[in-house]
Amino acid sequence: MTPVLEAVGLGKRYGRRSALADVELSVPAGRVVGLVGPNGAGKSTLLQLACGLIAPTAGRIRVHGAEPGVRPDHLARVGYVAQDTPVYPDLTVAEHLRLGARLNPRWDAALAERRLARSELDPRQKAGRLSGGQRAQLALTVAAAKRPDLLILDEPAAALDPLARHAFLDHLMESVTELGATAVLSSHALPDVARVCDHLVVLARGRVQLHGDIGPLLARHARVTGRPADLDALPSAVTVLTRTEPSDGGPATALVRTEHPLPDGPWAVTAPDLEELVLAQLARAENARRPAARPEARR
Amino acid sequence: MIWLTWRQFRTQALIGLGALLLLAGYLVVLGLDVHHAQQDTLAHCSARADCTGPLAAFADRYGLRTDLLGYLLLVAPAVFGVFCGAPLVAREFEAGTHRLVWNQSITRRRWLAAKLGVVGGSCTLAAALAALLLGWATGPVTAVRGARFEPVAFASHGLVPAAYAAFASVLGATLGLYLRRTVPAMAATLAVFAVVQLVVPAVVRPHYRAPERTAVQLTAPIVANLSKIGTYGDIGGLRVPGGPWVIDTSAILDESGAPVGHSDWFQDCMDHSSLTDLPGCLADHRIHVEITQQPADRYWTFQFVESALFALLAAALAALAVRRLRTRAD
Repeated sequence: MTPVLEAVGLGKRYGRRSALADVELSVPAGRVVGLVGPNGAGKSTLLQLACGLIAPTAGRIRVHGAEPGVRPDHLARVGYVAQDTPVYPDLTVAEHLRLGARLNPRWDAALAERRLARSELDPRQKAGRLSGGQRAQLALTVAAAKRPDLLILDEPAAALDPLARHAFLDHLMESVTELGATAVLSSHALPDVARVCDHLVVLARGRVQLHGDIGPLLARHARVTGRPADLDALPSAVTVLTRTEPSDGGPATALVRTEHPLPDGPWAVTAPDLEELVLAQLARAENARRPAARPEARR
Repeated sequence: MIWLTWRQFRTQALIGLGALLLLAGYLVVLGLDVHHAQQDTLAHCSARADCTGPLAAFADRYGLRTDLLGYLLLVAPAVFGVFCGAPLVAREFEAGTHRLVWNQSITRRRWLAAKLGVVGGSCTLAAALAALLLGWATGPVTAVRGARFEPVAFASHGLVPAAYAAFASVLGATLGLYLRRTVPAMAATLAVFAVVQLVVPAVVRPHYRAPERTAVQLTAPIVANLSKIGTYGDIGGLRVPGGPWVIDTSAILDESGAPVGHSDWFQDCMDHSSLTDLPGCLADHRIHVEITQQPADRYWTFQFVESALFALLAAALAALAVRRLRTRAD
């Protein structure tokens, strides 16, 4: 089965600045993908490449097996909610739905009406007067009612307060379930990702640091606690991502990657949570940037 | 897409339509008046051999209004370019809505085509209608003056206003696509369009056909209509009967073809005649000038050539815009 989204050697440069490099990615159908990474990691660039807003400068990206954003029937299969959820300020909410109905052959008016009613948007209100949360709901409605097979959202909840964000993510999950679509959303809010996503892509410094289904990813990582000397003696097949040693000589904690369950030893093994895992990956990527600590040297 | 373009363009379109209706109403009233006055003048002097004087008076009476309306139509395409063309694409970039609309099930090329078609088409149509009405309303005045080739008259009649409007609106949209900000795009549109409107009449238009050189006898009425007679016989503002486009004139020459500027009789006329006597004083000496001209019957050729030129420029700009959409979109 063709992956919904596939990138091979994908790169994007803006002049001399490289925003993305050597991205290899394959997202299977039916997942809700969380794309996480610090600011400037290239999340928006990757998502804009995926919906064909921009063209790659190296490699290629395929969505449903074709170049994104070129053919109208292909555009119909991808929904996109851009960062800051842009809408036409002069058009009313109802006119946005009319816009969607006129520009999309697969438009589902019933779904749009239903979602509008659920999010308590007044159809006669100008979109320019909506709150951030309402605007995000409207943008999501327009993207979802075209019945895409892939829904791409670029930090849709970033500007929302916790309550609005909660409601928005609920609506998002409802829509994804109703459409039976694959969704890719970028976020810096790791709890949001932990709540709604089942597949993770960690991006830092323009490269993919980690990518896979969240369950197996967590299973391949472990939090190990023990005396510093004992942690030095971990099996060689284990990769230490981060290690913290309290200065008072207490037990040290390491987050490690291991393909097999760790053998019993003078240490305690617990399961890490998603946030810990992502932070460890990002810290490692950040360390790799410093010339003194090349990743190869650390292994 | 046509619906969306129309919906976004609605405010400007309604304002424009209102202005066009006002102008059209005024032009109809003025036109009826002008045609009526022309009939009257012709009927009044049908018994006489020469109708030049009364017709000149008739043209004078409506001259100012004809000129002002000509200027209005000269400016209209610039207004279209600045207020309809420039915001067309730039505003989408400013609001970020290009990211919304480019992800509907429609290609960017069709999006741009619909925008240019609806907005550029409306501007072109408006300019064409205004020019048609103006041509009808002030036609008799322009005919009497024989001044169809004068820059403002040429640019405000016939086909060219429509071509200017098409060019200006596509220019605005394309600059908006490159600059991505509305106000800079508006300023750039105005600047570029103004330069084009100065360069084309001054440098390009005289060369659509090879100009002809002829001699023009300076009769007293022609001398009286000159805008300038220099101390040494150079002249300005020559209007030749029949209405050819005078591109260049020599100084005043006598029968043998020698300049008269330093002759005693010329200086005598210049120094000792009143303004009303001067034309007669000079014309008595059988003077003429050599001119470079485009004959009056080339008027429509020139209209066609210039319209085609601007249509071509508009098409080239549209192609540039499409190219930009493909190579650097977001």
